[in-house]
Amino acid sequence: MSDEIKNIKVTIDNITIDVAPGTTILNAARQIGGDVTPPAMCYYSKLEGSGGKCRTCLVEVAAGSAADPRPMPKLVASCRTTVMDGMVVKNMTSEKVPDARAGVVEFLLLNHPLDCPICDQAGECHLQDLGYDHGKEGTRYQFARRTFKKEDIGPYIQLHMTRCILCYRCTYVADQLTNKRVHGIVDRGDHAAISTYISKAIENDFSGNMIDVCPVGALTDKTFRFKNRVWFTKPVDAHRNCTTPGCCGKATLWLRGDEVFRVTARKDEWGEVQSYDGKPGWICNTCRFETKKTESWKIEGVTTISRHSVIGANKYKTLEMPNETVKRVMKGVEPKLLMDIHSISNVNNPDIHLSDIKGPAHSGDFKK
Amino acid sequence: MARKLLLEKAHVEGIRHYDVYRREGGYRSVEKALKMQPADIVEEVKKSGLRGRGGAGFPTGMKWSFLAKPDGIPRYLVCNADESEPGTFKDRYLMEFIPHILIEGMIVSSYALGSNSSYIYIRGEYDWITDILEAAITEAKQNGWLGKNIQGSGFDMELYVQRGAGAYICGEETALLESLEGKRGNPRIKPPFPAIKGLWGCPTVVNNVETLAAVVPIINEGGDEYAKIGVGRSTGTKLISACGNINKPGIYEIDMTISVEEFIYSDEYCGGIPNGKKIKACIPGGSSVPILPANLLLTTAKGEKRLMNYESLSDGGFATGSMMGSGGFIVLDEDQCVVRHTYSLARFYRHESCGQCSPCREGTGWMEKILLNIEKGKGKMSDIDLLWDIQSKIEGNTICPLGDAAAWPVAAAIRHFRDEFEWHVNNPEKCLTENFGLRHYADPIHVPTN
Repeated sequence: MSDEIKNIKVTIDNITIDVAPGTTILNAARQIGGDVTPPAMCYYSKLEGSGGKCRTCLVEVAAGSAADPRPMPKLVASCRTTVMDGMVVKNMTSEKVPDARAGVVEFLLLNHPLDCPICDQAGECHLQDLGYDHGKEGTRYQFARRTFKKEDIGPYIQLHMTRCILCYRCTYVADQLTNKRVHGIVDRGDHAAISTYISKAIENDFSGNMIDVCPVGALTDKTFRFKNRVWFTKPVDAHRNCTTPGCCGKATLWLRGDEVFRVTARKDEWGEVQSYDGKPGWICNTCRFETKKTESWKIEGVTTISRHSVIGANKYKTLEMPNETVKRVMKGVEPKLLMDIHSISNVNNPDIHLSDIKGPAHSGDFKK
Repeated sequence: MARKLLLEKAHVEGIRHYDVYRREGGYRSVEKALKMQPADIVEEVKKSGLRGRGGAGFPTGMKWSFLAKPDGIPRYLVCNADESEPGTFKDRYLMEFIPHILIEGMIVSSYALGSNSSYIYIRGEYDWITDILEAAITEAKQNGWLGKNIQGSGFDMELYVQRGAGAYICGEETALLESLEGKRGNPRIKPPFPAIKGLWGCPTVVNNVETLAAVVPIINEGGDEYAKIGVGRSTGTKLISACGNINKPGIYEIDMTISVEEFIYSDEYCGGIPNGKKIKACIPGGSSVPILPANLLLTTAKGEKRLMNYESLSDGGFATGSMMGSGGFIVLDEDQCVVRHTYSLARFYRHESCGQCSPCREGTGWMEKILLNIEKGKGKMSDIDLLWDIQSKIEGNTICPLGDAAAWPVAAAIRHFRDEFEWHVNNPEKCLTENFGLRHYADPIHVPTN
């Protein structure tokens, strides 16, 4: 990928970057990273044809290209709009975008049950993150939220249609990873629902990846259901020699003590499945649902969660070491101690019996 | 009496059948066109200034010239006959009574665009028209106007009729193509546009029934002659389906020089408002265009007479104007309640939203619920501002124009009839039994008595 021609200049939020032709605005923004990147709820770079539906990634195009610098009249979905040379995009710097995006967040949450306290996705939910980052507090919706009939779609996956935001990602997984899709969107409008055609169970080796791509808690792991909160479990990278064709065998185990509570594919900072040699690292159902013993896995180490979310907060960040100067000023010599503190500190005065000191000790107690 | 091009022979006995249609001069344009170069036909359509009759009014000739023509890939012409907009029923009339004019127009257009198999995607509810069209296609085939080597020209063409399954959204061109391919009728994300990647990934032109039918007189008389009819950039004739509180609802072919006032009150057209009532408001172009109160309907904000054409109807933008749209002319008299009317439209758009993108999926239902509350006298004053805010968050932020179409009627109703909404909120008891009536936006003109 490194020898790709990057000859398209695009400016996003006043930061200019060179990208390859055919790159979308969203992917260009991801190359810059940080707040410049619009959120994406339905777009999934590893799933062909995804995106354009949730409208959270709307950005303003202030200049279409160097050749035609007219602004685009409407906000565009950055995940499906390719960059042109000299394009100027406004995301966080736009006046229209935050308002439109807050509107989209409100629409997405309109019929969402907000049952985060009992939802297995809480803590790693993209809709939670989106709400916190781009939403407004409170809703203006005063009507009953839409509900659906419960449907059993098989032994491994739990479907909560009320939480679904209809991103279509799971249908793309079924289309692109498995040879037969048995589920899809039925009905239309606000009563559209993910369903199998006349209550069929979803059974194939890669159906579990639907859980990984689901941005909300609509599809969750039945083997992990109500077992633990994701922020209590410790993620570790592990691999095994999986014999299922197409399975990369590289996974994240979510442990509590020695117990494997859950197995997922490894995810990157955008919450997407990581790629290995340019191929997405999907895992099979055997790895995900059936291999829940630490002995079956070769643990590589603690997973670094670079995604900005509750699961990534306050833990597993790489420790930031202070700049080590001693070695530098001592010309490479790095003594463990710079002085003999035993001879200097009164605390180590052997004449004082610690048991003689009553109450909390003060420095004065040692100066006897 | 305005000149008629499409409906000239509509009342000839048996015009639905090939023999009569041919005797009355049908299929002349095909004979003429097959002797022309395809590019010349496109040029002729460009010269005619014909604009898409489906609603958006995009110049047809320009749309045709955008069609990509890569080698070795077929091109398709698709006729959008999924006419489902409330208040629009012009294509139905055309297809039901003169089906051969559509077939004739499609042969000429297919030849111009190089489409060897063309499709008519017809609204599912028009099942009897499907039979009429299929019978007409069979007749045309028997007489050598369809099939292999049409009239010895070497041009092959097949024409198929495909019925939809009753979704308004399939009138959106990319949703139509998805549906035609046998998939769920979700609009595609553009670009790529159908002219580059349409039906089965091939370059495709999607045109309205009336647009394709209008190609027949353009070829018969020449683009320049056609462009002489009408005014400005609104050339040719337009079918208007008039309905609502008028004496003579129906289909009228107008040249686009007559005024709105003449259209509503003259006996040649709508024949005025029944029972001596006054006009309150009008939707001039099908349910999705902004509603206009009587005082802005007959004259523009500048005080000029409003004419029945693309420019004049949209004069003043959405603030004081509307759109020509598809020509679904809906008239509301003084007894009609704008809130109820807007609720009814919001209900339609909620029901027809495909559910693909979030603003339209969630927003249309929300607007419907609020409007129902206001209509039932349970609304709050803040609901009116909320409605305005919701429509502004939907408009322009969706994949396809259905979001805009759902937002515009609500926006226009609040813009022009805010006092009626406020009256509903302030008089929860009264609004169930009484009507707000006309008040200050009353009909500013006389009602002809003769």
